[in-house]
Amino acid sequence: MLFVDNVSLTLGDFHLNSLSLHLESPEYWVIIGPSGAGKTILLETIAGIHRPDKGRIYFEGNDITHYQPKDRHIAMMYQDLMLFPHMTVRENILFSMKIRKTDDDDIKEKVSDLVNILGISNLIDRNPDTLSGGEAQRVALTRALIQKPRLLLLDEPLSALDSMTRERLRQEIRKIHQHLKIPIIHITHHFEDVYALAEKVAIMQDGMIVQTGKPEDVFSHPCTPYVAQICGTENIFRGEATADGTGSVLNLGALCIRITAPYSGPVVVALRSEDIIISLERFRSSARHTLQATVVELIPSGPFIRVVLNTGIRMIAMVTRTSCEEFALKPGCQVFVTFKESAIHVIPTGELDDERRQ
Amino acid sequence: MGKFFYPITAILAFFSGGVTLLVLGGLITFISPDSIVQTLTSPEIGYAIQLSLVTSIISTTLCAVVAIPSGYILSRGGLYGQRPLVMLLMLPLSLPPLVAGVALLLFFARTPIGTGLEDIGITVVYTQLGIIVAQWFVNLPYLIRVMRSSFAMISPRYEHIARTLGCTDFQAFWHITLPMARAGLISGLVITWSKAMGEFGAVLMLAGATRMHTETLPIALYLNMATGDLDIAITTACILLGIAAVTMFFFERLSEGSERV
Repeated sequence: MLFVDNVSLTLGDFHLNSLSLHLESPEYWVIIGPSGAGKTILLETIAGIHRPDKGRIYFEGNDITHYQPKDRHIAMMYQDLMLFPHMTVRENILFSMKIRKTDDDDIKEKVSDLVNILGISNLIDRNPDTLSGGEAQRVALTRALIQKPRLLLLDEPLSALDSMTRERLRQEIRKIHQHLKIPIIHITHHFEDVYALAEKVAIMQDGMIVQTGKPEDVFSHPCTPYVAQICGTENIFRGEATADGTGSVLNLGALCIRITAPYSGPVVVALRSEDIIISLERFRSSARHTLQATVVELIPSGPFIRVVLNTGIRMIAMVTRTSCEEFALKPGCQVFVTFKESAIHVIPTGELDDERRQ
Repeated sequence: MGKFFYPITAILAFFSGGVTLLVLGGLITFISPDSIVQTLTSPEIGYAIQLSLVTSIISTTLCAVVAIPSGYILSRGGLYGQRPLVMLLMLPLSLPPLVAGVALLLFFARTPIGTGLEDIGITVVYTQLGIIVAQWFVNLPYLIRVMRSSFAMISPRYEHIARTLGCTDFQAFWHITLPMARAGLISGLVITWSKAMGEFGAVLMLAGATRMHTETLPIALYLNMATGDLDIAITTACILLGIAAVTMFFFERLSEGSERV
């Protein structure tokens, strides 16, 4: 479908560094990465705005590296939407039809189709600067989709919106993806977008895609500390691993954990907060790790409560409000935390840290 | 000092306004109704007005033809050798027009390019064509600068989107960037035109001051002042003042408009 093959490009402070990305079917991809990772220029390069210094881009079997954007059938939407201010909503939506001189009946059909899906029929004669954030977003989506693109690129489409509108638009984008069956590459730095939308996720860092896969695979097996951190794994500890023949001991400062996998050298240990069980008493289970802890703080977080614990080191566990009430958790309580060994993700950092320092 | 600072600034601002009003307003008091009619109906001033209008409109158009594309490419950056090019292009802005005029005169009179043009029948020195060339040369850097900053305020992402929507580079510029730069373009053209109407130094050097031949309004003012025809000179000065006032009015209106956008 789309194959970005070893693309390198430097544009001012931003760069792509031998980046490869492969979309095989019309999937919903979310690319997540910190600002400055080069996410926007990646999208612009796929759209054909920038020509790569090195590498090729293939789309539907053709080498499109040197195609003009207009010939790629790839639509794009920026966070700041870029609705043309000197045109009405209708003129904005029909712009590509006017430029491409598409047949009239065809236009009407497409417009009414999309306008209905997105519910913007009442906005059609307004000027873009009179629209609310969510309305402007829908108009920009309609404008991008009206030319029946075969790939849709979304650059932080939800970042500038309030949380209500964001949730609604997420559903709409999902609906569009299902309805039109086109692949989407969606860039974000919001972790929620990955959970809510992604069929596949790619992690981007320093101009490279460092990990791709199904969200659950990437989340449960982050391959670098950075990936673990942006995946929302809240417990990330730096430490030193020492192999001892049958396994290894992870020295995390004020806490040592013994695991059966052999590691040695500097490591980052990731433990997802959802994988930690809190109990009032020690209980027998197959889980190998139980630690005594003091509750430090309770932080409400939607339907859940994040419980900050002191087990010698600071840990965060996620519990429901109900269990929090039932256990009468409050700062100062003594509790036990339990987690399975498979929940402990050890990432050796020796080499990677050296690389990142360069 | 603190409590005097604000009043002093205000007094100085009003003082400057007062001086301007006294000096320019005073000019109007020197003309008599008789001399206005006499001047405006005189063939010499009629000729000067017509010549000034024609040359300034042509030179402004030619400035636009060059300045719009140049300003655009310079606003988008990334041009090889952009910095020295910009410095070179902006140099004439701080150059006295008289110097530009002398350089133009020598260029067209003494260099192989100038004499070559002369040989194929294009005579610039001491002709009406010289007026247009002088106005164009002096005003071009100004309009390039205005267009460059107008385009620079428009995010290139508008064009990127337009290109994904089916535009070629040129269509994206023509349908999106240029209309969005409308306010800057119009005010730039109005000011350029008004500067061309009033251009004196460079025109004097390149086109000379020949009565009824290369006699634009400023040249007419100069010639009549030199020969002591004060009435005609003052009326001409008032016409130029009127043009400046109208231009300023348009400019203010336009910049208000662009702030609202």
